[in-house]
Amino acid sequence: MDKVVDLFLNNNSTKQKWEELLSSLGLHDFSEREVDVLDHTIGLENDEGNLVGTGSVAGNVLKYIGVKNDEGEQGARFNKVVTALSQYLTNEGIFHSFVFTKAKYAESFEHLHFNLLAKTDQAAFLENGTPDVTDFVAEIPKVEDQEHKKVAAIVMNANPFTLGHEHLVKRASEENDLVYVFVVANDVSLFSFDERFKLVQEGTKEFTNVKVVSGSDYMVSPATFPAYFLKSPDDLITVQTAIDAAVFKKQIAPALNITRRYIGKEPISRTTHYYNVSLAHELGPDIEVIVIDRLQKDDQIVTANKVRQLIKDGNLREINKFVPETTYKFIKKNMPELQSRIEKGMNINGN
Amino acid sequence: MEIKTTAVAGTLESSDIQIMISKGTNGIDIDLESEVKKTYGDQIKKVITDTLKAYGLENVKVKATDKGALDCVIKARTLAAAQRATETSDKPDLEVL
Repeated sequence: MDKVVDLFLNNNSTKQKWEELLSSLGLHDFSEREVDVLDHTIGLENDEGNLVGTGSVAGNVLKYIGVKNDEGEQGARFNKVVTALSQYLTNEGIFHSFVFTKAKYAESFEHLHFNLLAKTDQAAFLENGTPDVTDFVAEIPKVEDQEHKKVAAIVMNANPFTLGHEHLVKRASEENDLVYVFVVANDVSLFSFDERFKLVQEGTKEFTNVKVVSGSDYMVSPATFPAYFLKSPDDLITVQTAIDAAVFKKQIAPALNITRRYIGKEPISRTTHYYNVSLAHELGPDIEVIVIDRLQKDDQIVTANKVRQLIKDGNLREINKFVPETTYKFIKKNMPELQSRIEKGMNINGN
Repeated sequence: MEIKTTAVAGTLESSDIQIMISKGTNGIDIDLESEVKKTYGDQIKKVITDTLKAYGLENVKVKATDKGALDCVIKARTLAAAQRATETSDKPDLEVL
């Protein structure tokens, strides 16, 4: 009978055994990006004390699940690992979990009541527990007769909300009956989710047909997308974009009658440019992607990245040119705090 | 009886069933996954519904993942999840079984 044990990966010999097992199962990416975020890892030991299965948890995401299946009943070990992980999550008060995995394993998870959110030829994204995506879209505010309205969506990190974001929202607001602004919920940015969300709300207050909602766990960010199961880390952006687009297209858009998505044209960041191109490809033809030229001030393109650099430099006067009054006030008031976050190592060059 | 928190009981191993219970608004709403759903789905749902009702719960969202559990197991797991969800595990009402 296999036994569930806790694995402590900070112990080198444990980590080595763990890596050996996963390598033999075709997983080879043990980079810091993937491993450092793990909160808990369990192992499965057979009667001889050999490691025959493992699984880990990072936040509410299951990772590095692998089992050797040479003996006994098919799927028994896999079920045991997932049970152990779900019990760990339950004890932590987490009742809603996700898994990103190779496409061919989607079915194994579906047998355990995971619900498939999106699938590409390489990867699958599934969720389990409650509240799920149906509850998520049910709670988003709607308007009367929405199915006959022109509904658009914008997804933004808004780190922080700039005049560029405002420009994008304004255009969408003018051209549609209703606009949803989804704010990316992952907390890996200089401005926390609560701060970003509040600034988007305040900055879009004048547009009465705009609803600001949290993207929750359903706007898949490249910052948190696990890549350990991909063949090459270079596939990360392609696969993440495809999964993100598929979730939006299949789970979010139909429930809210969204037929258009607005994005800002990307002249600088290669990542964002690439994202935009493949997003248009993945979302079409059901959802029309509308690319809006970036707003310019004093011959400079307005970007949140620039604003973050200016925060680092403490240049309030320059910041004022690029952000609305509400964001400016917030930055002015919280300048020391924001600068100390940067000093403590917060990366401000990403998105 | 009132549901205070989301709660889980049971495992995903063979002959067991995992029951997750959370607050509902629309009666007893059961989302069941089972390899024998075609044959025993209705029976499994009935056992869960009866157990919850006997425990005095009316609006419940249930996610059940069955791995071939017998009725007595389904009852026991449902009851355990209900006790945890209502935070009454310390004074179990075993009469329900």
